[in-house]
Amino acid sequence: MKISNEIKVGLTIIVATVIFILGIRYFEDLPLFDSTYDLVAEFENAGGLIGGNIVRVNGVSVGSVTSVYISESTGKVVVEFHVDPTIPVTEGTYATIGGFDALGVVRMDLTLGPASAERIPEGGLVDTRVTSDLMAEMTTRAPAMLTNVDSVLEELEGVMAQANAMVSTPESDIRQILSSARGSMRQIETLLADESNRIARILAHADSLTADLDAALGEDGEAVASLMDQMETTLATLNEDLERFQATNEQLDEILRKLNDGEGTLGLLLNDPSMYHRMDATLSDLNALITDFQRNPGRYLKEMNLVDLF
Amino acid sequence: MVPLTSHIVINPVAAFGRYSRLLFHAFGAVAEISSYRSNVWRQMVKVGVESLPIVILAATFSGAVSTVQTSYQLVSPLIPRSIVGAIITSSMILELGAVVTGFILAGRVGARIAAELGTMRVTEQIDALETMGLNSVGYLIVPRVIAGVVMFPILYIAACFFGIGGGMLIGELGGFVPFEEFVFGAREYFQPFDPIFGIIKSLVFGFLITSISCFKGYYTQGGAEGVGRATTQAAVASCVFLLLADLLLAVVLL
Repeated sequence: MKISNEIKVGLTIIVATVIFILGIRYFEDLPLFDSTYDLVAEFENAGGLIGGNIVRVNGVSVGSVTSVYISESTGKVVVEFHVDPTIPVTEGTYATIGGFDALGVVRMDLTLGPASAERIPEGGLVDTRVTSDLMAEMTTRAPAMLTNVDSVLEELEGVMAQANAMVSTPESDIRQILSSARGSMRQIETLLADESNRIARILAHADSLTADLDAALGEDGEAVASLMDQMETTLATLNEDLERFQATNEQLDEILRKLNDGEGTLGLLLNDPSMYHRMDATLSDLNALITDFQRNPGRYLKEMNLVDLF
Repeated sequence: MVPLTSHIVINPVAAFGRYSRLLFHAFGAVAEISSYRSNVWRQMVKVGVESLPIVILAATFSGAVSTVQTSYQLVSPLIPRSIVGAIITSSMILELGAVVTGFILAGRVGARIAAELGTMRVTEQIDALETMGLNSVGYLIVPRVIAGVVMFPILYIAACFFGIGGGMLIGELGGFVPFEEFVFGAREYFQPFDPIFGIIKSLVFGFLITSISCFKGYYTQGGAEGVGRATTQAAVASCVFLLLADLLLAVVLL
């Protein structure tokens, strides 16, 4: 079938027109076939908002800004925008401008009103609120902050100068400490160099020792465990003995206390001097008797008969 | 001195005068267009429908290449990748769509029109038409200009569609910009006036290319060599005036 020129041209024009209209709606973020829900908001400051910027509800993109202009009568910024018709923009909804103006990503955020409230009619006015702009805040605070930074830097400079002076004078403490530290380091270095062989040997020994220990632990795990058990019982016995020893000790303490206090025979023996005195007197009497006996044996022996004796 | 002045000043002014007279005639002949209806359809197919493949090809590739090169250039971590989508879409709609199509049409359609009319002129077919009582301007020029003005916006839409589509495709397949980010960026910076501006541009370009080529062809002189000269001049002049109009429209309308 031969397609006539009229059909070719007509078809091309129709397809192109459809693509054109749908393409514009697509890039405007409008639903391709549904109608839209247009709303208006008035701001004191648009904060860099332009037509085409995104409108979000709870962080979800639901529409876009159609146009932004300054009202001739009120001088306020009028923002026309449209959102998905399924979004319940009820009374009590308010709009804020967010995003980062310096990067060109400004957007409008809607905070929806209570779901029970009445919907704002098509073309109706949405309340607005001012949010703190991060950039603006930084701009207002920057001068004070810069002054602080300046003074800090000046102080730092003074400190640095002092430190510099300290380090650069040859007789300063730091210099001396550094030089002695350097000397110590050199000594340690030479020591290490001299003794490197021995250190290596020691390390090797330690290594083999650790390895042996490791092996012993690995192989004789059960032996070690039984050893540990025995040690435990031994310790328990020791503990009991110690308790008994403690009791004995206490008794001994009691005895010693009695001795000290002079209770009982032994106590009196230790503490009463009268016995000593009496014994002393007795001994001196005995002494005198023996001396007298040696001097005059006859006095004592005249009565005694030798025959009687033997 | 005199030849130089005539070359620089008088000749262009005279050419512009003749061009204006031709257009004047053409506007006068628009009323007779119903007599040449079939001629209009034929020209629309030749100018518009038959140019679609080459326009689509060129636009797709320029969109894809722009995407790759823009992604290559935008390496700053501060700039989101979605910016690539915004740049490609805006540049396609505002500039590349119309200008790429314009250059292709200046070469393809402009040269063809100038060669056709030039051959008719040097073989005295135009004189024959006049002798038969036909309005040659109405019969030959008006359908071509109308076809250009009507079909150029169509080609522009096709160029934008396939250019942006090519960009999206290469962005997604080549791993430069994911489709979602591309669309996000495009939407972020999309101005509803941009495509309208593109349509206005393409209307002007369509008119300029076809009318300048008709003018060059209609006033061809000097046999086969003259036809060749007219064809070249038509393509070159179309491109030059297309660029001038591009700048002028951007200054006036944006």
